[in-house]
Amino acid sequence: MDDDASNPLRRMSSRTRKVAPKMAAALASSDNRNQAALARLEALENDNAGIETVEINDEDEDSLDDDDQVYMQKKQSKSMKRKTRQAKALEARKAPRTFLELLHEANLESLPPHVPSYLRAAVGPPSSTSRRHFCTVCGSAASYTCVRCGVRFCSCRCQNIHNDTRCLKFVA
Amino acid sequence: MQPSTVVVLDNGGGLIKAGFGGEMDPTAIIPNCLFRPLSSKKWLHPSPISTTPSSAAAAAAASDPIDLTSAAVRRPLDRGYLINPDLQRDIWAHLLSSLLFPQRPNLGGPSHSSLLLTEPLFSLPSVQRATDELVFEDLGFAALYVADSPSLAHLYEASRRPSGLASKAQCSLVVDCGFSFTHAAPVFQNFTLNYAVKRIDLGGKALTNYLKELVSYRSVNVMDETFLMDDVKERLCFVSLDVARDLKIARCAMWETWESSRFEWVYLVLTVCEMGNEGNLEKDDILRKPGKENLLRCTYVLPDGVTHTKGFVKDPDEAQRYLSLTDGDRDQTPNGNADQPQVTEKLENRKKTDLTKNEFDLTNERFLVPEMIFHPADLGMNQAGLAECIVRAVNSCHPDLHPLLYESIILTGGSTLFPRIAQRLEKELRPLVPDDYRVKITAQEDPILSVWRGGSLLASSPDFEAMCVTKAEYEELGSARCRRRFFH
Repeated sequence: MDDDASNPLRRMSSRTRKVAPKMAAALASSDNRNQAALARLEALENDNAGIETVEINDEDEDSLDDDDQVYMQKKQSKSMKRKTRQAKALEARKAPRTFLELLHEANLESLPPHVPSYLRAAVGPPSSTSRRHFCTVCGSAASYTCVRCGVRFCSCRCQNIHNDTRCLKFVA
Repeated sequence: MQPSTVVVLDNGGGLIKAGFGGEMDPTAIIPNCLFRPLSSKKWLHPSPISTTPSSAAAAAAASDPIDLTSAAVRRPLDRGYLINPDLQRDIWAHLLSSLLFPQRPNLGGPSHSSLLLTEPLFSLPSVQRATDELVFEDLGFAALYVADSPSLAHLYEASRRPSGLASKAQCSLVVDCGFSFTHAAPVFQNFTLNYAVKRIDLGGKALTNYLKELVSYRSVNVMDETFLMDDVKERLCFVSLDVARDLKIARCAMWETWESSRFEWVYLVLTVCEMGNEGNLEKDDILRKPGKENLLRCTYVLPDGVTHTKGFVKDPDEAQRYLSLTDGDRDQTPNGNADQPQVTEKLENRKKTDLTKNEFDLTNERFLVPEMIFHPADLGMNQAGLAECIVRAVNSCHPDLHPLLYESIILTGGSTLFPRIAQRLEKELRPLVPDDYRVKITAQEDPILSVWRGGSLLASSPDFEAMCVTKAEYEELGSARCRRRFFH
C-alpha cells in the first residue's frame, strides 16, 4: 500500500485535496491508537489499577531509612511543621524509580553487540505477523473493526455494546 | 569452626521462597509485597503461604485471615528487577526476623550465616549494587552467593532424575514462566548460556491484570482486586488445545444469557455442524449444553465480606468439565454420557441464582488469558510466543546441543501451573523442530519450588563456601568486582 507513494512512475494529481477536519483527525489517529495500545500494555504491569501513585508518597515516611539518624531526628523534632525543601528533596531522591528509568540509566545500548544484555535477550517480533483478534465485548473471534477507535468486535450486538460503553475510551 | 548455615532465598517478583540450605522445602513462602487493606491505614506484611502446616505462623494466619478485598499493593520488584530497595529491606527484615530465624534459635542470625540469593538474568549493574548493599550492609550477612534461577532449576531436575537426559548430558532448556516474565534459558554444565537466553515480557502479573481487564468490562469491576483475581486465575484458567474450537463452544454459552436472536441461532447451528464435520465432538453434545450447561462456563462467587472473605468456585465439578474436551487427534472420552445424570441432578441447584451472592461467569476468558503466553501478539505486543521463543533460544546455541536441548525442556515457574500447558507447548513446538529431533517437555509437579530446591542442593554442596563472596571481600573490593565471581 505504501509503495504507491514511493513509486516515481505514478502520476500524482495536482489538485489540492480537501479533507474535512474530522477526517484528518481520524487519519492521524493511528498514532493515537498506537499510543493507546502501548499504554494498555504498560497498564498490564501495574500493581494497582493506576490509583495508587499519589498515596504512596504519603505513606513512604514510615519506611524511610532508620540509619539516616540526622534526618530522623530532624523529622521527629518538627514532625508537625511543614516539610522543608531539603526534606522534600531527600524524599524525592528516595522515591522508588521505575524499572524503565533504571534501564534507561544503565545505558545498555552503548554495549558492544556481542554482549548479552537485557535488551538483547528480548525474544523479538514473531515470525508471522498475523494477529488474532478477539472481540473486546465477548471474547469471540472478531472480524470487524470499529471505524472510530479501531477496537475489534464480532457481531452487531457487540458493536452496539461497544458503541454504548467503550468506544473512544482509550483514544482521546 | 562450626559449619555455618546457608539461608536460601528465591526472591521472585510474586513470591519469596525462603528456607535453609539442605532442606527439602522452604521454611516460609510469602508474597513479595506489602499490602494495605481497606480497613487499615498502614502497610501490612502478608501472611506466609506455607507448605508445611506445622509452622506456627501459618496456623496463626489461617485462623485470622486478613480481608484482602480491594487491598492496595506495593511491590519492591518491577518487571522482575529490584526497584525499591527500602521496601525490599523491610520485607526481608520481617521475613528473617519473624519467620526464618525464630525457627532455628541456635543459629544466631544473619551475621553467622551466608545467603544464597536468586537474581533475575541480565540484572542491571545499579540493581546489583543495591542488592549487595542490602545483603551486606543492611541485613549483615556473612557471605553471599548470587545464582540465576534457570541453573538452579536444572540442578534440581538433574538431581531428581539422575538417569534422565538432563543429568546425563548436563544440559537442558529451562523455560521459566514466572510472575514478571518468561525466560527460555539453555543451561549447560550448570551454567546458563546467557547469550542464548530469550525473554517474553509476559508473566503471571500481566495475565492477572489482563483477566481483571476482561472481567471488569464484561461483568463486575474487579480492577482493584489483585488477590481475588489471582485466585480466579489459579483456579479457573487453563490452556486450550484448540483455541478456534473452544471459542466456538464458548460462544454457545452466551446463547441462553443473551436472549437469542434468529441470526445467532443460525450461526450456532452452522458452527456446530462445521465442528461435527471435524469429528471432534458430537453435534448434540454441544447443542444440548447451552448456557449454564456449557462445557467451558464456570461461575465464581465473590466474597461478601460477612460469611466468607475469600471468593470460591461455585461448583468445582463445573470447573473441571473442560477436561472432557479432548485433543482433536484422540477419540472423545466415553464418560461424556456417564455423567449426564449427575448433571441433571445438580441442575436444580445451579439454576437458582442466589441473589444474595455476587458472582460472575467465565467462559472464553478461562483459556484466552493463558493463551497470551503462546501468542503475545494477540495482546498487541510485538513479541513471539513461547514455542518460537524456545526455538530461538535453542538456535542461538551450538548446533550440537540442539537435539539435547529439545529433548530436555523443563517447565518451571508459577505460570506453568495452568493445566495442559505442556501438551499445548508440545503441540506448538513439534512443527517448528526438525523432524529427527525428539521433543520432550518435563513439567514439574511443584514448579514454584523447584528453583528453591535447586538452591538448597547447591547450598549443601561441599564447595559452596568457596564460591561465596564474603563480607570482608565486599568491603575490600566493592560490589562490581565481587560480582565477577558469579560469571554473570
